[in-house]
Amino acid sequence: MKLSPISQHSVSRKGRLLLALTSILLCGTALAQERGGTLTVGLSYDIDTLNVYSTGYLGDVQATVVEGLLAPDKNANYVPVLATTVPTIKNGGIKLSADGKQMSITYKLRRNVKWSDGAPFTSADVKFTWEAIKNPKFIAESKDGSEDVSSIDTPDPYTAVVNYKRVAPDYASTLFTFGIFPKHALEGKDLNTDVYNEKPLGTGPFKVKEFRRGQYVIVERNPLYWRKDSKGVQLPYLDQIVFKIIPDANTLVTQLKSGEIQMTPSVPYAQVTQLDALPNMNIVKNNVLSWQHLDFNFKGPEALRDLNVRQAFAYAINKSAISKALGGFPKPIDTVVVPVFSASNRNVTKYPYNPTKAKALLDAAGYKPGPDGIRVKNGQRMSYKILVQAGRANDEVAQQVIISSLKAVGIELQPDNKTGVAFREARYKGGYDVFYSGWITSADPVYSVFFKTGGVNNGQGFSNPRIDTLLDRAENTLDPAVQKSALMEFQAELTKVLPTIPITTNLSVIAVTNKLGNFVPNPTNMTNFVNTSSWYLKK
Amino acid sequence: MTLNYLLKRMLGTIPLLLGVSLVLFGVLHLAPGTPMDVYADNPSVSQEALDQMKVALGLDQPLPVQYTKWVTAFFTGEWGYSIRTARPVVTEISERLWPTIVLGGSSFFLALLVAVPLGVLSAVRRYSATDYGITFMSFLGISMPVFWLALMLQLLFAVQWRILPSAGMQTIGENSLVDLLRHLALPALILAFANVAGWSRYMRSSMVEVLSQDYVRTAKAKGLPHNKVVYRHALRNALIPVITVVALDFAGILSGAVITETIFAWPGIGRLFIESMNGRDYPVLLALMMLGSFALVITNVLADLAYAAADPRIRYD
Amino acid sequence: MTELSSPAPVPVRVTRTESPWRRFLRTFVKHKLALIGLGVLVLMGVAALLAPQLTPYTFDGQDLDIIGTPQPPSRAHPMGTDELGRDALTRVLYGARISLSVGISSALIATLLGTLIGALAGYYRGWIDTLLMRFTDVVLSIPLLPLVILVSGMIRPSVTLLICIIGALGWMGTARLVRGQFLSLREREYVEASRALGGSHGRIMFRHILPNAIGPVVVSTTLAVGSAIMLESALSFLGLGVQPPTPTWGNLLNSASQWLQGAPWLAVFPGLMILFTVLAVNFLGDGLRDALDPRN
Repeated sequence: MKLSPISQHSVSRKGRLLLALTSILLCGTALAQERGGTLTVGLSYDIDTLNVYSTGYLGDVQATVVEGLLAPDKNANYVPVLATTVPTIKNGGIKLSADGKQMSITYKLRRNVKWSDGAPFTSADVKFTWEAIKNPKFIAESKDGSEDVSSIDTPDPYTAVVNYKRVAPDYASTLFTFGIFPKHALEGKDLNTDVYNEKPLGTGPFKVKEFRRGQYVIVERNPLYWRKDSKGVQLPYLDQIVFKIIPDANTLVTQLKSGEIQMTPSVPYAQVTQLDALPNMNIVKNNVLSWQHLDFNFKGPEALRDLNVRQAFAYAINKSAISKALGGFPKPIDTVVVPVFSASNRNVTKYPYNPTKAKALLDAAGYKPGPDGIRVKNGQRMSYKILVQAGRANDEVAQQVIISSLKAVGIELQPDNKTGVAFREARYKGGYDVFYSGWITSADPVYSVFFKTGGVNNGQGFSNPRIDTLLDRAENTLDPAVQKSALMEFQAELTKVLPTIPITTNLSVIAVTNKLGNFVPNPTNMTNFVNTSSWYLKK
Repeated sequence: MTLNYLLKRMLGTIPLLLGVSLVLFGVLHLAPGTPMDVYADNPSVSQEALDQMKVALGLDQPLPVQYTKWVTAFFTGEWGYSIRTARPVVTEISERLWPTIVLGGSSFFLALLVAVPLGVLSAVRRYSATDYGITFMSFLGISMPVFWLALMLQLLFAVQWRILPSAGMQTIGENSLVDLLRHLALPALILAFANVAGWSRYMRSSMVEVLSQDYVRTAKAKGLPHNKVVYRHALRNALIPVITVVALDFAGILSGAVITETIFAWPGIGRLFIESMNGRDYPVLLALMMLGSFALVITNVLADLAYAAADPRIRYD
Repeated sequence: MTELSSPAPVPVRVTRTESPWRRFLRTFVKHKLALIGLGVLVLMGVAALLAPQLTPYTFDGQDLDIIGTPQPPSRAHPMGTDELGRDALTRVLYGARISLSVGISSALIATLLGTLIGALAGYYRGWIDTLLMRFTDVVLSIPLLPLVILVSGMIRPSVTLLICIIGALGWMGTARLVRGQFLSLREREYVEASRALGGSHGRIMFRHILPNAIGPVVVSTTLAVGSAIMLESALSFLGLGVQPPTPTWGNLLNSASQWLQGAPWLAVFPGLMILFTVLAVNFLGDGLRDALDPRN
């Protein structure tokens, strides 16, 4: 599940972890890649702007047009794009200051890269990108990382030295990966209203041909694209990609069936079986870096600050029923660091489904069943509002299983679903008692945004000094061993304090025509369209 | 009907629209949440920037002042900027207006074309099997949830038979009229459906009434052929009250487009409305609601005028 | 939602020969479709009230053995089960409770409001009339469906709130209707008489005039029940209606729509319920209109 209409900075970033993921192998083919053809993709959300830093959605279209210095590959490892190598301490790309508290990263840039208008791409563009995003007048959806940078040196057109105020292991998943701005086209312009937002200028394999709001975006081959395949053929293979905007989920599936679209990056689980039956459609299951969770509001009802109650919730929730209700696609988890990461701790405190234990915990803590079966303590009925994002069919199904699970132990949950801005506001300000939703992260997740005191995404108002310390330790080092041990300990602690119950990890289901070659799904927040240059259509 | 009367009616719409603006402004501002909430979760927007924006949008001022400012700006064509896309509201709406007019207009005429003959038939064959059949069908039309019917037709026409596209306004890269009509067929049909039902019922009762009147009976008694009586004399008179209802429903068709456009990915103002609502895009929402009300008020006036034009006995001074 | 043509206010003639009530009954029973409509509605109402007795399941009881895969109709589950292993018949029955309450209560609220406003305007005339009718004009000038969507989008409503919203935005037609009736009826001799005898305004309005003006109001209330049920289903489609697990026909239909091919029975039954109910309401309205029309 690509948490499609999730804002980008809900997406977090952090330190190098080893991954082993992505289950799917597309039918391998020995056919030669052919140039030409148009791929038609259905998107379920209405694009607000094509500026990747301003959009409230994940940038599917933008990923075909705009490139960053680095990008995550199908295993969520970073590979160089506009840079020639991924900087590391080993290759001298990252240098720590003498006191070990600051760092500088040197990017060697690819030569002979041109913007699609023909202007050369240089280190000045890298510096400009940081300046433009840092500018307080620019109202961006994501400015992550821009505050960590103190200055950028450009000793020559193909070298950019980024000086950081702190040791930022998540550097790769922030601004320079999101995309680089063209200095020559944007200098002195107001990024909030510039035509760039309609027709972004990039170095990517495609350029925007036409953007009709509410209807479609057509991107066409960028003839100046720098990448060639192994035989020296100029990429991309595809002539065009058409992104059609189809807000209704049922219509989206209908369009796949009727052949009006050939691909959609997110199919509701309920519809997978029928699409699987289509002869010319591949169903690609993609383990995304995301997890579903039930959060408690610490600023809300008093009972939710009682650990016994939170534990009772955890024992009461039937995670495998949720998984089964959703066609078995999401898998139950015990910790927020999803299993694909090597730092995922298998020895955390677990709360297997056990309603009897949940009841016993509540009884012992003094929450006694009232006349209507709902428990009461000190005159407070255990009746809470549960928020999910309205219109997300999968979440609404899970919500009903949770409601039913808790009713069985004497706790009433009432749905209070919201959508759009109202949902985001509730999520970030804690406008709920309990909250069921999902987070999707980059390859380098930063957990402090969710669980550190005052974290941006910590709408639940959770605060625990020990967690804060552990997260600080994990997120201010470039040493993988230190980071891993801190994260392990963090998970052990988090499952004890239990501000959040990890429910399932997600699988996104992509439907794509079997004619599309070289398609590999991407598990990160950079979307499946992050490497479209080698996609081709079989005749 | 004089020019004077027209002018008077037009002037009369102004206080009405002012009242509408007051109600809408009140509804939006009494509800929880403000336009600034869009940035609530956005750490890149500092408190300072928020305050600046508040001042720029005039949100720091008392409500009556805000209202006065907004309403003067609105009536002088200053509709402001969309919060969601930072583009002028006028641009946002004008881009989306045409598709809705195409969809609304064609389903309006489609409904009329079907409803009037059905109503007449029903009236002429009163209490026959045909009459009951038509009555039943038209009741079916108003009793079926639109989105339900839409889904069925999509599956049938686009998936099963593959003769019509299931959604969208055009095949990409094609601009022909035929292509537009093919895309228009299903949504226009769906949108017309409910109105066919209502209007044919109305047409029927109006026709029944006319047919029972003296002059029709006289015409028949004079030996005029039945068809001539029905179609020349009765139909004309029966149409007069129907015109009013039909004209008033035009604005209703436009608002029905909210659902139809979402299902059929039709890029009109109905969908813009939904998106703006999800984004709490108050400037766009207010402008759209005002526009809708304006359409209603104007069709009201037009209905009166059409009424007068159709019936020479009616005179307005 | 389509508003059926409201009939022009028709003066009700009080005849000596036959009581209006008997005349009404005589005409009404001749209208077969209306009778069928009434029958269907009564049946639905009874089934909704007796839901707990009619089914061994609860509306939110999930069968974890079959969760995730809707089961087709069977002996144990005559309408099948949904994706959460819940009995579809039970949900349709409980859905009837909510959908019918939304329909009936909001229609009643709209009628009460409309009658009150129309009565005040038509009875007192003068500035009260002007004020109330201008206000009616203003609200009538705002497109209804978007306004309802807007309001329920801003405050995600509970069932009660939803009823209030639909009711509070649907009174205008009735108000105009009642005002028209009052304007003509207030000049009648019997009203003059009771005024001369010192009857209070309230008494004259609600004891003397209103009963004679009630005919068209009854028809429009009936039709409003249907519109409200349709409106609820439209809101459900947009995700703004009553939230599951509380079932309504609208949200049942909406959540069934993604199973349209895999489990069509989930969509068929609530769809038919809406269809039959609105159909029945309209037939009933038609019958009432005929029966209350003094020209018959």
